[in-house]
Amino acid sequence: MHIPDGLISPQTYLPALVVAVPLWWWAARGLAHQVGDEALPRLAVFTALAFVLSSLMLPLPGGTSGHAIGVGLLALVFGPWVAFLAYTLVLILQALVMGAGGLTALPVNALAMGFIGAWTAYLLFHLLRPVHADFAVLAAVFVAVLFSALLVALVLGLQPLIAQGPDGSPRFFPFGWSVTLPAILLPHLFIGAAEAALTLLVWRHARRRCWIPSACGREA
Amino acid sequence: MPFSHPVRLVAYLAAVIAVTLIHDPRVLLLMLAGLLLSSGPSRLALLLRAGRPVLWILLLISSGLLVMGWLTGQPVLHALLLINLRVLVLALLTAWMLRDVDLDLALVRVPQVRRWLVIVRAQVQLFRRLVQDYRCAQKSRTVVAPTLHQRYLGSAAIGLAALDKGVHNAEMVTQAMRSRGALHD
Repeated sequence: MHIPDGLISPQTYLPALVVAVPLWWWAARGLAHQVGDEALPRLAVFTALAFVLSSLMLPLPGGTSGHAIGVGLLALVFGPWVAFLAYTLVLILQALVMGAGGLTALPVNALAMGFIGAWTAYLLFHLLRPVHADFAVLAAVFVAVLFSALLVALVLGLQPLIAQGPDGSPRFFPFGWSVTLPAILLPHLFIGAAEAALTLLVWRHARRRCWIPSACGREA
Repeated sequence: MPFSHPVRLVAYLAAVIAVTLIHDPRVLLLMLAGLLLSSGPSRLALLLRAGRPVLWILLLISSGLLVMGWLTGQPVLHALLLINLRVLVLALLTAWMLRDVDLDLALVRVPQVRRWLVIVRAQVQLFRRLVQDYRCAQKSRTVVAPTLHQRYLGSAAIGLAALDKGVHNAEMVTQAMRSRGALHD
């Protein structure tokens, strides 16, 4: 669900940058503390996995693209702050290596997918875990994908309202919420379900391998 | 290009922000022509590389705008040109930057960011190669075309095997390099 460069206005990406910078700083500050020496190579591999998952893109009518995100998996294995930072790196690499997304869109993409996606998955998983761990993973990732997609749709649909020419013509993304909400949310119902299943597969594998310290020994 | 890589990166960032502040299609068209003229003999390859990731999104937005204009009777040509040219100029700038800026050198003053970019970029390449290796191994041992169910099972097995191998490799390399004093983190 990357927003490409050139579709969102400075009125949007500059405030998003103001919000994202302190969050990146906070996340980076605690990185060494949260990820021990032995987990660093694992984090690099999981970040690479998230990159590969989110590289398989399908353009959507809402001006964005559909693909698995992988941030839910990062959040469940490493926690939401580390996931936010790692996913920002994925977005930077995608912008710089593949031309997907973009640098002006980076703060919005990072907040929508990296921050909201990671925190939604993490909080919902811990809320539902007492019910059933597998169900908690599925529900957490599915809802996280939908929340991220909702935020992207809201940001894109806002553009014609806040960035118009003198004659009322759109300067950036031209369609309102009546287009962006269904165009982005409906395909993400399927993408979210697929990503939830994929995340469950990898999460169970990571738990068996004791790559998740909090789950190791308790549910293995 | 005579400038150092950090300067090129900063110039690229400034240009990207500047393009989002321009709302005249004629200026953007001039910028696009200027970029193409000054990007050297491989300009066509650069344009193709820039256009590929944004082509479908631009086609979808443009067709949507045309339908909207047709339904409402409002002129959409200005918005159509503005959005297409802006996205294309930005994509061309990014493609040019990727061709002419060495990120390892450009980020030399931000070692933390450079370190992570290098690590993850290397892991992405390794991961892709592992998946490809496993897929080739699986194909070479498959006589009849697998069903959809078998393909899902096979993909899951390949993905998890590649993940195991990737984690194992990364841990081994890190431990080996650290024990030999090659890492200073």
